[in-house]
Amino acid sequence: MKRFDYLRPASAEEACAALAAQAGEARVLAGGTDLLLELRRAEAKAPRAVVDISGLAGLDGIEERDGAVRLGPLVTHAALARSAVARRHAAFLADAAAAVGSPQIRNRGTVGGNIMNAATCADTVPPLVALGARLTLRSSRGERELDIAGFFEKPYRTRARPDELLVSIAFDPLPPTARSAFVKLGRRNALAVSRLSVAAAVARDAAGVVTEARIVPGAALPVWRRVGEAEAMLFGRKPSEALLAAVGRTVSDVMIGATGRRWSTEYKAPVLAVLVRRALEACCR
Amino acid sequence: MRTTTLHTTVDGRAVTVEIEPNRTLLDLLRETLGLTGTKRGCEVGECGACTVLVDGMAVNSCLVLAPQVEGRRVTTVEGLAEGETLSALQASFIEHEAVHCGFCTPGMLMSAKDLLDHHPSPTEQDIRVAISGNLCRCSGYVQIIEAIGDAAKRASKGRPRAGPTEEHR
Repeated sequence: MKRFDYLRPASAEEACAALAAQAGEARVLAGGTDLLLELRRAEAKAPRAVVDISGLAGLDGIEERDGAVRLGPLVTHAALARSAVARRHAAFLADAAAAVGSPQIRNRGTVGGNIMNAATCADTVPPLVALGARLTLRSSRGERELDIAGFFEKPYRTRARPDELLVSIAFDPLPPTARSAFVKLGRRNALAVSRLSVAAAVARDAAGVVTEARIVPGAALPVWRRVGEAEAMLFGRKPSEALLAAVGRTVSDVMIGATGRRWSTEYKAPVLAVLVRRALEACCR
Repeated sequence: MRTTTLHTTVDGRAVTVEIEPNRTLLDLLRETLGLTGTKRGCEVGECGACTVLVDGMAVNSCLVLAPQVEGRRVTTVEGLAEGETLSALQASFIEHEAVHCGFCTPGMLMSAKDLLDHHPSPTEQDIRVAISGNLCRCSGYVQIIEAIGDAAKRASKGRPRAGPTEEHR
């Protein structure tokens, strides 16, 4: 493995000070399930220092406060998957966390790491984008809050500055009338990197008419976003088999529009349309 | 790169060592402490051969930096038996012929231990999920699943069927 200085700050403030002192040459270590692979990869550039925040207290809570759900960045996928709060207010987020890697990975990997690593296959990000999550970044200069929608520049690149530490992820609960779903396609059932995924939530009134829809595909677009073009097709309508299939095709067309036709499009286009339809069916059951 | 002093507990023993911070928990166990029961497989968190428990939870020791177990409790396959007496789980693996070449066995045992410690009456699906991060290239999964299920049944005999414990899953 690469050589680096190992720093173990005693608080988030100390962690921010360490990041500032390293002037962009440090990497933050939380669960380590992504960073250790990188530290071991021969061709990757070694960081000068690793700032280990995995032992910091108070950053692994899941709580409801002032009508919002707040996640500490050190919440593990395992904790999120079994959280009653997450399941009640954003079931698709708990399902996405349960779909990450393996039990061993879920016991270590964190939701903060999933966001900050910004891999296209990150499973918890599509539901967090659908939820309109707000990210609080802290540095020695103070705190700022960013909407997750504008947070990602491109795969593996975020708008966080090198001296900033993600300290909180907050979102409003889905409406009580909403149902949500996360579907994922990997090359096998266990330990699979997402080839494609879809996070969807649909709220309907008593007559079954859609009052709100959110659709975010994963590993499909250069950066994650809600597909408003497809969501609008559902609004004010009663979902039918034909409508859900048409919405799926629209999401697929949006993907092709954004990425162009690639070698994988032949496969991805029909598969994404089906995944969207399945996610929506699960929401409308 | 300076070495760092690490205080941790491995299989109930307090351990204090000087270690280079770019060593993994797997390196600490196998090379510094000579506990070679934990196997080095893929080193990318795919095969599960290096699975140990940290504070009672299964992790890939190849993906944990050694200094990250400061103040934590590590349990390896060497910590399962009581002296010469195998644990019920280990005995069940032998009885069900769940050990073929044996390379995956320590990791399988540790994933199974995490499951049974927190979920004493698992369904077959629970068992399949619990070992989904462990590869057996002899493909002896059926015997492994039976061995874990049988160990759970025997342990719960004579006691009411329990659900998952409160603090964990």
